[in-house]
Amino acid sequence: MLELHNVWKVFESRQGHKEVLRGIHASFRRGQHVGILGRNGAGKSTLLRVLAGVEAPTRGYIRRSMSISWPLGGGYGIHTSLTGIANARFIARLYGMPLQRTEEFVADFSELGPYFHEPVKSYSSGMRSRLLMALSFAVDFECYLVDEALSAGDARFANKCLEVFEIRRQDAAMIMISHNASHVKRYCDTAAILRNGMLEFYEDVDEAIAAYQGL
Amino acid sequence: MIGDVPRREQMSPAAAQAGVISALFIREMLTRVGRSRLGILWLMAEPIILSSMISLLHWATRSELPNGLPVFLFYALSYVPFMMFRSIVNRGSSGIQANISLLHHRRITLLDVMVARNLMEMMVCATVIALYMVIATLFLGEPPHAPALFVFGLALSALLANGLAMVLGSAQVVWEWIEHLVHPFTYLMLPISAAFFMLDMMPQETRELLLWNPLVHVHEMNRWAQFGDRVTPYYDISYVLLWIVLLNLLGMAGLRVARSRLSMSD
Repeated sequence: MLELHNVWKVFESRQGHKEVLRGIHASFRRGQHVGILGRNGAGKSTLLRVLAGVEAPTRGYIRRSMSISWPLGGGYGIHTSLTGIANARFIARLYGMPLQRTEEFVADFSELGPYFHEPVKSYSSGMRSRLLMALSFAVDFECYLVDEALSAGDARFANKCLEVFEIRRQDAAMIMISHNASHVKRYCDTAAILRNGMLEFYEDVDEAIAAYQGL
Repeated sequence: MIGDVPRREQMSPAAAQAGVISALFIREMLTRVGRSRLGILWLMAEPIILSSMISLLHWATRSELPNGLPVFLFYALSYVPFMMFRSIVNRGSSGIQANISLLHHRRITLLDVMVARNLMEMMVCATVIALYMVIATLFLGEPPHAPALFVFGLALSALLANGLAMVLGSAQVVWEWIEHLVHPFTYLMLPISAAFFMLDMMPQETRELLLWNPLVHVHEMNRWAQFGDRVTPYYDISYVLLWIVLLNLLGMAGLRVARSRLSMSD
């Protein structure tokens, strides 16, 4: 379970208070795949960071009884001065994964070939996102937080991601934030809209998308 | 093949904590050593060059030390621990902003980042000191009097520096201007930390003033650990431990305050 009770996030800026999240109530269970739709600047990434527990809410509280991933996507958690294999080992040590298995999995999945032993800063953006995907899938979390879509590389690689993701999320929860309705339709069973700092839940993804597109 | 995904190992909280620190420690080492094979030597080059230059300068100007203490060794073995203290404070206090992206992993706390960084610094300096001690034993006939006590002394100054780095680092999150005071502060610590002189050489009043500084106690103890009864040390371990506990508690509280103010949005 991942539960949010009246979660507020207020940023102090030169212009005064900026209320990004204004009283969010939600609960997510294992096996649920929820898409959160929102326009640019609606506070989606802030919500994801609060869910991940890397930023504390200003008010309200969050109860976590699942292991939750770091926010996947956006290049978080990659060290560009280290090699691909060093990044894989870092994640393995950090999350208590078997070292060699994780290395093999990441090497195999990311298809980086000899570049696996080169520093990440020499990678193309496609290679970086393949490494990132491989690192994300290497750890078995009970809840995956996904920032934007799992779109990395070409169609074949995207399919491969989907395939592993299907295995990983079978009994895990997934919360995906996106501004793209078609991604939510593809990966999620239920959806919510983040608007004016509040979450509105919809039973049906199509209903949510219709409401979102009517915004 | 694809379906064969790695599974997590069950582990105790202590093992999980050790995993976090070791992941950070190895990352820190790889980042600092770089990709070259000689990287590990370069890591030690800075303390070796600085300490040997300072010590050679004193040796060349024929500084006089009581009881025939070896000039080069006297300065080198005082300067390296002081350098360790200084670089832990300097590097550690800027470590929060530099490592902010690591905090995307909820398991990693600011304390973990600090501890891993400072452990690395301590091991570099301990290696350099061990090197000097081996050279002194083999070529100068100056084996350390109580090497274990020297290691203890290093740990004490590392802990002092760790606490201070946490205090200054978290203060910097709240008041940015503190950043500009850290380097002058550590620079000014040198003349008042008894690294380059012994309290025994000082008049009574000066000695009592200097003993307020916990680092002075550590340096005095280290000197006795190396040279034995050829020096008359002034130190009180319990006073140093009191400072260590205070600085580290204050630092940990500071990190908690700092953490809630950090934003990863940019």
